[in-house]
Amino acid sequence: MSRRRVDQEPAYVLHSHPYKETSLVVEALSRRWGRVGLVARGARRPRSAMRGLLLAFYPLRLSWSASAELGTLTTVEWAGGQSALSGVGLMCGFYLNELLLRLLPREDPHEALFDAYAASLARLGAEQSPAEVLRSFERRLLTELGYAPLLEQEATSGVPVDPARQYRYEPELGPVPLQGSQGAQPATGICVVSGRTLLDVARDDYARPQTREEARRLMRTLIAQRLPGQVLHTRAVLKELQDL
Amino acid sequence: MSAESVQTAKGLERLIEALRVLPGVGPRSAQRMAYHLLQHERQGATQLAQALEAALARVRHCARCNNFTEDEICGLCRSPRRDPSLLCVIETPADLAMVEQTVSYSGLYFVLMGRLSPLDGIGPREIGLDRLIARATDGQVQEVILATNFTNEGEATAHYIAEMLRARGIRTSRIARGVPLGGELEYVDVGTISQALIDRRGL
Repeated sequence: MSRRRVDQEPAYVLHSHPYKETSLVVEALSRRWGRVGLVARGARRPRSAMRGLLLAFYPLRLSWSASAELGTLTTVEWAGGQSALSGVGLMCGFYLNELLLRLLPREDPHEALFDAYAASLARLGAEQSPAEVLRSFERRLLTELGYAPLLEQEATSGVPVDPARQYRYEPELGPVPLQGSQGAQPATGICVVSGRTLLDVARDDYARPQTREEARRLMRTLIAQRLPGQVLHTRAVLKELQDL
Repeated sequence: MSAESVQTAKGLERLIEALRVLPGVGPRSAQRMAYHLLQHERQGATQLAQALEAALARVRHCARCNNFTEDEICGLCRSPRRDPSLLCVIETPADLAMVEQTVSYSGLYFVLMGRLSPLDGIGPREIGLDRLIARATDGQVQEVILATNFTNEGEATAHYIAEMLRARGIRTSRIARGVPLGGELEYVDVGTISQALIDRRGL
């Protein structure tokens, strides 16, 4: 790979971990280069100029050079204009970051996804209903990755979804209409949703409590399909916190 | 090469490998340390080995504040000069030492020995939040001061502790953040100034 220099690229830190004696490896989401892994040399030294700036959820401008899988971070600038996340919004932010780390491969740029992520953080920072923000980001992420869920038409037949009917959602196919008594006892691992919910999700309308609840299960099923056998840490930690 | 010399080298290798568990010690520093101990500091090395063994055998967590101690309850927690109505929650023993250096806090502590880090799967169980709740609801504590770091993880930790204690009727507070003492705006990082503006207070 030839050497590449990237200057002042809008980016967010998703996560970082210690690297060697005084450095950090930063996983960042950049606008034009997608997710990148960058070494921040000396960022763990007490007087490092980068220390204190490499925080998740704040808009930054990063410059780096790359010739191998891990680039070298050269400068970090504060872009500002985004209020800090706190409380539940902060927890939701960690969840978004985990989704990106697990689902989005490195160097697979999606500018629209970057913009949707920035907008989601702004909405979480403004303390909007986190459920809506999460559901619409989840759908956006799946769509950008090429797994757009079929919502307005029935699987295979292509018949428009009927808001009054119940559907079994097959992750690989889409909504399959339930026959008569089938809806009463769905087998485990199968997600049943109403047609109304599917159409609400298609319009990003989460005003109805039942839509929020069913959409949560639907997205969970669709994401689990992409992460076979994996447990989302943020979800597990949140559950433990609620149980305390 | 004789069997004997191979064995000697093995001992040296093991020592180098063992030294690498220390933070900030890579293979090269570990090798330098090992040679130094074996060549010039054999007595010091014996003391180091004994001190390590003794510390591992005796040092444990204080039943009240979770800090390291050799007793069931540490000296600080037993001190009659400390105010038992104040409890300061911090992440690490190093943070405790820092707060103590201020000489402006006379209450007691609880050391989490970490922070919530959802992305790394570090949850309430790993940092003993149930023990903190038990400690804070002992009837003597009137206010819990949350002095976790101002990182996203530290903020999340403070938020959840505050929620849990509030539900149990305990008053909580968060240490203030902003421009450092003696700080000149021109030289303070923008993130701090931005947060200081948001957290401004009336005069």
